[in-house]
Amino acid sequence: MTTTLTDRYVAATLRRLPARQRTDIDTELRGLIADAVDSRLEAGIDPADAEAQALTELGDPVRLAADYAERPLHLIGPAVFPDYSRLLVVALSTVVPLVLVVVTFIALQQGRGFASAASDAIVAAVIAAFQIAFWATALFACIERLPALRPRRERAWSPHARGALPERGLDPATLIGGSSVAAVIAAVLIVLQTVGPVVGIDGGPTGPIRAGLWDSGALLIVGFFAVASIGAAFAGHYVGWGYAQATGNAVLGALFSVPIIVLAVSGSLLEPFFFRAIGWPGGDGVVAWIIAVLIGLLSFTDIVDGFTRARRAK
Amino acid sequence: MIDDDVLATHRQELRRGSVVLACLLVLQKPDYGYALLEALDARGFAVDANTLYPLLRRLESQGLLTSEWNTEESRPRKFYRTSDDGIALADLLTRDWAQLQSAFASLKDES
Repeated sequence: MTTTLTDRYVAATLRRLPARQRTDIDTELRGLIADAVDSRLEAGIDPADAEAQALTELGDPVRLAADYAERPLHLIGPAVFPDYSRLLVVALSTVVPLVLVVVTFIALQQGRGFASAASDAIVAAVIAAFQIAFWATALFACIERLPALRPRRERAWSPHARGALPERGLDPATLIGGSSVAAVIAAVLIVLQTVGPVVGIDGGPTGPIRAGLWDSGALLIVGFFAVASIGAAFAGHYVGWGYAQATGNAVLGALFSVPIIVLAVSGSLLEPFFFRAIGWPGGDGVVAWIIAVLIGLLSFTDIVDGFTRARRAK
Repeated sequence: MIDDDVLATHRQELRRGSVVLACLLVLQKPDYGYALLEALDARGFAVDANTLYPLLRRLESQGLLTSEWNTEESRPRKFYRTSDDGIALADLLTRDWAQLQSAFASLKDES
């Protein structure tokens, strides 16, 4: 009669243990509980109370089983948590803005209104964020439970390793902020260009970029190099920075900035009709020079900065 | 006045490793789980049953304890005994403990 409580307790514990441990722990645990009950009976405690007290002392069978099986009682432990949060930050901050822009662009291309395109894009971005969060968490929960999955990841941290000293332009917040701003600028440009409120001389919508240039898709290639250089900056932040990374950064930067500057200065980047339509005739020339100088300066400092970091990292 | 939770945490942290050493020392004479629990309790080592029993298994899997089933008494009991490795570790930990004690004593003398 008094064994039922113990039976249930032992069964609840054994259920959560690997099969090879069960028989041994079954016998031992029953013995230990019986010893505890006996010692309480000797002290004159009522049999039913004695059993309940002995089991209460052992506590939640889930915890006891986890202790026996040496299983963690947390989803993601301190050993892998920094990598987990880094992965989340990087994946969310790059993929979500990208999804926003791409989905907006596709919806607009299909001739949908801006409101409908924007709501599509927001829904897609939220889904993407949830997917990333779920899969990253699932992945790291597995890594936490299968030590074989984390071979040499736990290398010692040293002050010479990446991220030890604050380095200009290298902290994730700046990178993420920069990527987000770039994504917003791209989105605004795409909206202005495809469904913009400004009507050109041919009666169709006209954007700030020359129609021929836009339709040729050449800007997509240039934009690709811009995205690649943001990706390279993120990669550099996590694998470390050296002369190889600095050279790659310089090449990607040049591939992005030189074509833009050449187009801007030669007057073939911006659409004069757009600026005339918004009441700023000749504005294209001024804006073209501003763009050329800004992009030139930004690329130059970025390239120099890359090599400075590489030298310091030595 | 120190917060009760803070107090409990600090005392627990300080005692954490001492239970292992106490087990290794007590079990140089073979004993079973419940008797060990009572022996530790009687000597002032506050340890919970649900901490001690899994700990014994862990020490056994690390080769610091050996075990043997005793079926001669009223119920089968698993008897643990400190292995040679366990005795070596107990010696090492005892020396560490003594060093800590003298280090603390010298700190108190200075202050």
